[in-house]
Amino acid sequence: MSHARHGVGAWIGWAFFADLVSALALTFGYMFSRSVTMQYPDKEKWLPYPRYRGHHFLTRDDEGEIKCVACELCARICPCDCIEVIPYEDDKGSRHPAKFEIDMARCLFCGLCEDACPADAIALGQQYEFSSFSSRDLVVGREDLLGKPGKARTGGGVVAARLNTEQDVLVETSERRGYNWWRNIRRT
Amino acid sequence: MELIVALGLIAFKVALLIAILLLLPLPLTWLERKIAGRMQQRMGPMRVGWHGLLQPVADGIKLLTKEDHIPAEADRFLFKLAPILALTPPFVVFVAIPFGETVSVLGAEITLYVSNMNVALLFVFAVIGLEVYGVIFGGWAANSKYAVLGSLRTCAQMISYEIPMGFAVIGVVMLAQSMSLLEIVRAQADVWNVVYQPVGFFVFFVAGLAEAQRIPFDLAEAEGDLGAGFHTEYSGIRFAFFMVSEYAIVLLVSVLVVILFFGGWNGMLVPLPPLLWFLLKVAFFVYLFIWFRFTFPRYRYDQLMAIGWKVLLPLSMANIIITGIAFL
Ligand code: SF4
Ligand code: SF4
Repeated sequence: MSHARHGVGAWIGWAFFADLVSALALTFGYMFSRSVTMQYPDKEKWLPYPRYRGHHFLTRDDEGEIKCVACELCARICPCDCIEVIPYEDDKGSRHPAKFEIDMARCLFCGLCEDACPADAIALGQQYEFSSFSSRDLVVGREDLLGKPGKARTGGGVVAARLNTEQDVLVETSERRGYNWWRNIRRT
Repeated sequence: MELIVALGLIAFKVALLIAILLLLPLPLTWLERKIAGRMQQRMGPMRVGWHGLLQPVADGIKLLTKEDHIPAEADRFLFKLAPILALTPPFVVFVAIPFGETVSVLGAEITLYVSNMNVALLFVFAVIGLEVYGVIFGGWAANSKYAVLGSLRTCAQMISYEIPMGFAVIGVVMLAQSMSLLEIVRAQADVWNVVYQPVGFFVFFVAGLAEAQRIPFDLAEAEGDLGAGFHTEYSGIRFAFFMVSEYAIVLLVSVLVVILFFGGWNGMLVPLPPLLWFLLKVAFFVYLFIWFRFTFPRYRYDQLMAIGWKVLLPLSMANIIITGIAFL
């Protein structure tokens, strides 16, 4: 490296482009390093951490009844005004949502609805593959939300996956925990 | 009869040359993107074909089917003319470039060049000089400030780097006592010119980088400050023309460096077929271009001019004088 030298050595280095040559050597070295790319839909897929805020889901209690009591607190706190809850009263006299709709196209995944919910009924899960060609498809109703995957228990792993254009990204093998992001990064 | 055969042969060679030059950007873009990817610890194109091999084809189809947009305020005639003007000179230059002596096909000796001009070097420089027209017209006709600024820069750059480039080869001409590229290569049978003319090679190569508008001298399309330079407003197939011409120039500069300074098809140590030697050397210089591109930052405009006029020009002149003195 030229910056370490002084006097005549530095001048000789300058005349023969020592700095440029060391830069070339560096990029050449990198050419034979491993890539850090994760080939997402084709080969690998990253599993989100438990704290990840993905698609919402609604939970059920032990009897299989929906936990939500239709208090509409989530609808109130939502900064995007994207939750719509219409309550009803069942035969046992408890309140439940007749209609529960979230407009995912407007949601900003702040997680405030999860924090506000007094019944632990709504939460943001691990699913992140729900892009769509039409924003109308992104309005999800009560039954859909009940069926969505919950929070990830483990996370940060990378699993083998394969793209199926008809459906989804298929995960092929069991998960590996704790992907080391720095594995292939060269640090000097 | 003989005349017809000779004409047919020339027509065949020209057609082959054009086909090769038109198709070569496909593997070259793939290579460039792959190398760029590797150097940046990425993978480059991976999805179309094996390791993205068909990516350039996909890109080509995309460019062909894209809307061919001409800006409303543009000078339509010049706008359409410019890509063709940019594309033609690099192709024409290759007429004068020899790729080897002869090969025997079916018992007949076939020369590996279209024409052996005795002033080939002059022809090459004259035709490369025409490249500027495509750039000026493209930038001017688009009627956009990015394009005009880009083309102004490019013109200034090309004109000022053509001078040291021209001077740098004079040493080579003095050594070979000829301006024919064939003679120049023959004169290097024992020792390559780069040994006698290291300064000439340096000047020629740096000026060639500037001429091909590659990093570190790609001021013409400095993405950061000019959009895309003189071809900002071009789209679709016309844009593809500019890209093809850019790759053809990269190839041309590599070929010229090899012919003028690295002994052309003269081998060294390992006895390989001359054509293979030639291709290997050219491939190395093309790789060097790509390697440079993903290593160096871009020079500022005033630095570019300073390097051209204050460093390369005096160096090339000194080179001529010293070569002359050595001859005396
Ligand atoms: S995550 Fe935020 S924006 Fe989305 S529904 Fe909940 S409160 Fe509204
Ligand atoms: S999800 Fe929670 S906050 Fe929203 S209405 Fe139901 S109980 Fe209330």
